[in-house]
Formats: sequence, structure tokens, C-alpha cells
Amino acid sequence: MSALRDSLRGRVWLVTLAALVTLFLVNLALQPNLLTPNVLKSNLTVFLPLVLVAIGQTYVILGGDIDLSVGSIVALVNVVTVSVIAMTGGETGGILLGIAAGILTGLACGLFNGVLIAILRFQPIVTTFATGIIFGGLALRVLPTAGLPVPAGYWRTYAGNVLGIPTVLWIFVFALLAIAFIARRPFLTHLMATGGLRTAAFQTGLRVGPIRIGAYMLSGLFSAFAALCLTGETASGDPLMGRLLALSSISAVVLGGTALAGGRGSAFGSLLGALVIGMISNVIFFAAIPFEYQTLTTGLITLLALAGGVLVSRR
Amino acid sequence: MTQTPSAEPSPARALHAQGVTKRFGAITALSSGRISVGKGEIHALLGANGCGKSTLCKIIAGTVSRDGGTLEIDGRPADLKSPREAEALGVALFYQELSLVPQLSVADNIFLGHEPRNAAGFVDRRRLIADTEVLIARFSAVAGSGFAAGTNVSRLSPDQRQIVEILKVLARNPSIIIFDEATAALDKRQVDLFFSILRTLKAEGVAIIFISHRMDEVFEIADRITVMRNGETVAEYGAGEVDRDTVVHDMVGKLADHQREARPPRPAGETPRLVVSSVSGGRLRDVSFSVAPGEILGLGGLQGQGQSAILQGLFGAEPFARGEVSVDGRPVRLRRPADAIRAGLAYVSGDRGRDAALHGRSIFENIAAATLVSERRRFVWPSALKPRFEKAAAGLNTKYAGMEAPIGSLSGGNQQKIFIARWLATDASILLLDDPTKGIDLGAKGDFFELARDLAAKGTSIVFYASEDAELLGLCDRILVFNSGAVTAELSGDTRDAFHLTRAAYGETA
Repeated sequence: MSALRDSLRGRVWLVTLAALVTLFLVNLALQPNLLTPNVLKSNLTVFLPLVLVAIGQTYVILGGDIDLSVGSIVALVNVVTVSVIAMTGGETGGILLGIAAGILTGLACGLFNGVLIAILRFQPIVTTFATGIIFGGLALRVLPTAGLPVPAGYWRTYAGNVLGIPTVLWIFVFALLAIAFIARRPFLTHLMATGGLRTAAFQTGLRVGPIRIGAYMLSGLFSAFAALCLTGETASGDPLMGRLLALSSISAVVLGGTALAGGRGSAFGSLLGALVIGMISNVIFFAAIPFEYQTLTTGLITLLALAGGVLVSRR
Repeated sequence: MTQTPSAEPSPARALHAQGVTKRFGAITALSSGRISVGKGEIHALLGANGCGKSTLCKIIAGTVSRDGGTLEIDGRPADLKSPREAEALGVALFYQELSLVPQLSVADNIFLGHEPRNAAGFVDRRRLIADTEVLIARFSAVAGSGFAAGTNVSRLSPDQRQIVEILKVLARNPSIIIFDEATAALDKRQVDLFFSILRTLKAEGVAIIFISHRMDEVFEIADRITVMRNGETVAEYGAGEVDRDTVVHDMVGKLADHQREARPPRPAGETPRLVVSSVSGGRLRDVSFSVAPGEILGLGGLQGQGQSAILQGLFGAEPFARGEVSVDGRPVRLRRPADAIRAGLAYVSGDRGRDAALHGRSIFENIAAATLVSERRRFVWPSALKPRFEKAAAGLNTKYAGMEAPIGSLSGGNQQKIFIARWLATDASILLLDDPTKGIDLGAKGDFFELARDLAAKGTSIVFYASEDAELLGLCDRILVFNSGAVTAELSGDTRDAFHLTRAAYGETA
């Protein structure tokens, strides 16, 4: 048993994977057509934004910080993208310009957070809570009410196929490749050292400030990707989009075995964690649990999944 | 050796620092630091606690910036603003407080910031592991079990971590290395191997500054010795042309002996209040002593040799692994602070912010904290307790606006008095003082010692650790000197002076 614990300690995501398989089988029992391509694709479409935000959140948490502003970044990127597309007309060039503007917005939000926290040494939780309100306020300034549809070219591409494979699957595969890419850069080791023991990282000569800023910018970047997906799903602008993403993404990160204290964990685990959270709401929905019990049950299952990881990894 | 201040560039000189000064707030850490190390030379830097040797090393390594003086590396003036810049010039510092990240593997730690990369900029894991294994092989005979490139540092023992730290320094191929207490956690075999590596580095022309708390090691390995005292370099000589007592005399200086204050001899045949027998665990190795009622026992030696560990162990904060403790003849088990409080022990830490203060709460609440535990109170009637606390605080000559004022409104010295009052209110019979005057101004220090003497006169037993030798010599009846977690000497009567204290701190038995 202790040998099992030893081998699992560094790989809490295996527990998350087990939870995911279990939930998938339960879902399959409740919803026999789960394995048809269309259902799988619609599930992935629903899960994708949280998966992307959780990946970005992982890097911030690995660095020993936290980002509560991701939901508002999603909203701000969404309204900036739809507004830029509307301004430039609905042609392909305009759409690409809108996407670029959205991505730059996400990076700028991350840079803003990172400078406040890593250079000016503000406290991360409070700072990103406040910048979240600021980004949300900016989103309302850009687009006061929901609306402003995006051109059909945008959402048709997102809902359709590219080279015979669903766009959402492409995005999912690109997310996996991005994780693998970052995992092999020295940056990730430096980030984990920064989150693990900041004084040691500094004494070793690492540039702790830029490293933490880099993590916040990754979080902003992945939030922007999530916003572009949500824009494809809803096909319009909504300044109040993504409200629950901050805490859901943190849950996904923790479910995936990343320590909130920093220094330990993986973005792949967070991806699995985000899928678990998505599957939980699927199972609740198809289990025909009365509406008034759904939230309660979601909470209990999330707690159970978290407890599994904690019990396995505890000394 | 003659020194010219303007130090013409000499090809054989790797490092030359002269007239280096550094102030931290009101405290002058360095008033005139000087060290000069040649290529292929092992240079020992010695001095008592707080003499400035660590500060000088940190300045050379770029972690602390200097206020004045000159620093030359390889004959060129160097103005270092960060560890990174020092590293670029070939300087590597072995950190006394370890610089390892526990969550990362041995390989990741050793090459942190210097990971081997392939053409595309990815980490070359295969080369990383291979390079690490080559380094580990140097220590493989003495590294112990479970020491591999992929092992997480959090799973290593203290001596293995120290070896990783050494390897991390070696992996950077530096031309100047500062080993600050690099042998502290190593056993004899590991030290021997480490020294053979140092000799290899020396043959390669590396300049090495070696700081150790063991005089034997210094005379075994060093070519030259620089001695510092009170922030100033006071002597430099070849290791072969000097004897140990001269070195100790230079560390202590002439003035030190006048600081001693005569203490009345203890009556013979007293029954001890506190008896500690053969406690071990953590850094401690088989420590035994006893304290009589009304006695002030000092714990001396260089910093971090186990003095705080004894006090925290007695208070149950870091319980001992082995050994026995008895109070007034009754054995006590000290597994957590509440056990210690009920056995009549009290602990005052120099780190008030971390260990003592209830921030933002009133003076009343801060005093009450210990009483509530010792008397197992479930309900609190402030009006009944207040007169008691006011009496306890008044005895200390403490200035405060009122019991309801927040603790933060007081100066460091007055806060420390409030934390003493916290324990006086519990009628503690044994007071453990863990470097209590850290960051307190001189006037408040005087008051504090006056108070400690009064308490001892009334029969309280005091165990006192101070990082400043003068405080120990001024206050204590007896001093136990610690080195590497064990007691190397007990000083009382004639031997209670700065010379014997410093000599014992460096591991020389009295």
C-alpha cells in the first residue's frame, strides 16, 4: 500500500483519470447514445472553455500565485473580439483581426496582473479579485448589453469540421500539444522552483519577477482562447460571460493534483480535472435528479473527487 | 603581508575586497570588510557571531549590495546588483540556508537555471540526467541510499541535501566559490571526500573562501586565514604561521574581557529545577544539563548549532525524538506547547512577529493567551483577569496606553515585555528565552536584562540563548557552548569569558 502511495504521490492525476473513467461509465449507463460522434462533440464543445482556462490557471498556481480574474478576462476578450469584428465588417480578414485583438487583450490582462503582483508585490488573491472587477467593468463599457452577433463564418467554422475533423477536437489536440510544449521548456522548471521555494529560486539566480509575469500572461492567453471558443458557441457578445470560471478552474486545477501552495502539479492533470467537472454536471443532468438537488449533488461529488486525491497523496 | 589600498590588478588574485561597508537600518553590519583570495587558494574566513562574515560573503555573491568600498574580481572592479551578475563573473555561493527547491528533483535542482537545452530550446532531459549522474558519482561512496538524479529533494536527509547543494555549486564550474558552513550537516567520511574535491578544485586554480565552525577543519584545509570582528577585518595570515589561540584572540579582541560581570557563585548541592538528560532529535546529539532555581543558564556558540532546537524542544514546539526531561524531580512529556505550559515552562522568542504576537489584537488578549491555556479556562471574564494582568505588566516597567490598545502600538522592546508578562501571569517557574533581544534598541535591552535578573533573584530558572556573546557573558551564571548539536564546553567561573566562549564555539574543548 505504501509503495502504491509512493508511486501515486507524484501522479495524483491518475486518481483524477480514474474518477473521469468512472463518471464516463456512469454517464454511458444513463445516456446510451453518449458514444455517438455528435454527442461526444457537443460534450467537448461544452467542456472546452473550462479546460482551457484551467490549463492557464495551472501555471499561475504552480508559480505559487492565483488568478481570480480569469472569468472577467473571458468576458472582456469576448466583447473586444465581437466589437472589433463588427467594426471591420464580417469578412474573414475582420474575423482574424477580431481574434488577434482578443488574444492581445488576454495577454495584456495577464501582463497587468503580473506586474501588479510580481513587480509591485501586491497580494495575488486580493489583486486578481480587484482586477477581475476592473476587467468586468471594462467589458461592460465596451458592450453594455448582451448582443452583437458574430458573422456566420465564425460560429459555422467553430461548430463544423476542418479537414474532416471537428474544430473543437482540433482545439483540444492543440491544447494538449501546447501543454507538452510548455512542459519541455526550462520555463516550467523555473516556474515550479519559483512556486516551490521563492527564496531558493532567487538565490539560484532565477528572474523570479518575469517568471511570475509569464505565468499570468499564459493564464490570460488561455482565458482568451476559452473566450474565443465561447464566442463560437454563443455566436454573440455577452459582457457577463464566464462568471463562474475562476472558481471552477481552481477546482479543476486542484482536482488534477496541483498543490495550491505551488511548485507541484501539472497542466495535464488540470485538463483531466476540468473534464471531471464537466462530466459531473452531465451525470447530474441525465440522472434525472430533481432540479432543487442538482447543485447540492454537484458539490458533494466534487468534494468526493477532491477527497480521493487528498487521501491517496497524503503521507 | 603588506596591503596597498589601491590594489594594482594582479593576475594571480581572483578576488579582492577592501573597505567594504554595509548598514541595515540603524545597524552597521560591516564597517571595514577586507578579503583577498588568490587563484588556487583555500582561504578560511573566521569570526564570532555577527562579525559580518556572512554579510561580506553575500556582497561578494551579489545577494546583498554594498554601501561602500571596492570589490575586484579577476583584477577588474565589479559592481554586483544580483546573484545573476555575480554568477556571470564566475562567483558561486554555497548557501548556509539551503537554496534547494524541495518539490523538484535532484537533477532539476542542480541545474536550475542552467538546464542543458537542445537546438530548439527544449530541456535535454537525457543529458540533464547523465550530467547529474556524473556529478553524483563523485559522492556515491558516501551519499547513502535513495540518492539518485530523479529523487525529489523533499525525500532526502539533511546531509544528502547538503551534498546536492555542493554539487549545485560545482555544476556551475565557478572560478570563485564561497562555502559558507558547507560541512555543517556532513559526517566525517563525507567531509573527507568533500575536502578531496576542494583540493582538486584548488589544483584547477579555483579560489575558495571557506567558512566553518570547526577549527580542526580550518587548519586541515585552509592555506590562508582572514579573521573578522565587529564588522571589520582584523587579521590575515598563512595557516601555517599561526596557532589556534592567536586566531581565537583575534576573533575576540582585547575589549571583550571587560564586559564580563561578576556573578555570585551558586550555592553547592542545590536541587535542580529542570533536568534534561540525553535528548536527541533534529540537529541535537545527546544533550544533557540541569538548571537550579534562580539560575540563569546561557546557551552559546555560533548560530544554528542546536541552541534554539533545545528551547523549542523543551517547549514542545519541536518535540525531542529521544531523551528525558524532568521538572522539580517529576518526569514530563513535552509533545506540544500546552504540555510545556502546564509543566511551568514559558517560551519567549526573538521572532515576535512569528512566534508570539497576536497581530491586531489588544494587549489584554496578548497577555491572556498563555493564562487561558495553563488554567484550562473555557470561559473568560475579562474584568476578573484584568487586575492580574495589569499587575504583571506593571512589574516590567512597561509603557502602554491601556490594556485595550493594539499590540502593534508598542515598540519592539515593550512588546517583548508584554510577552514576558504573558508568562508571568501564568506563574511559570522556568523561562526559556530564545534570542529575545533581536531587533530591540539598547535602552530596552538594558531593561530586559534587569527584568531577567529580578526574576532569577525571585527564584525563576532561566535558560537563555543569545546570538550576541556579550549578552550571554553579561547575564549568565553558566554557559553551555554548542557545536553541531552537541555541548562542547561548560563555562563558569574563570572560564566564563569571551576567549573561552569563542574557542569552544569553534569546537575546541575547554
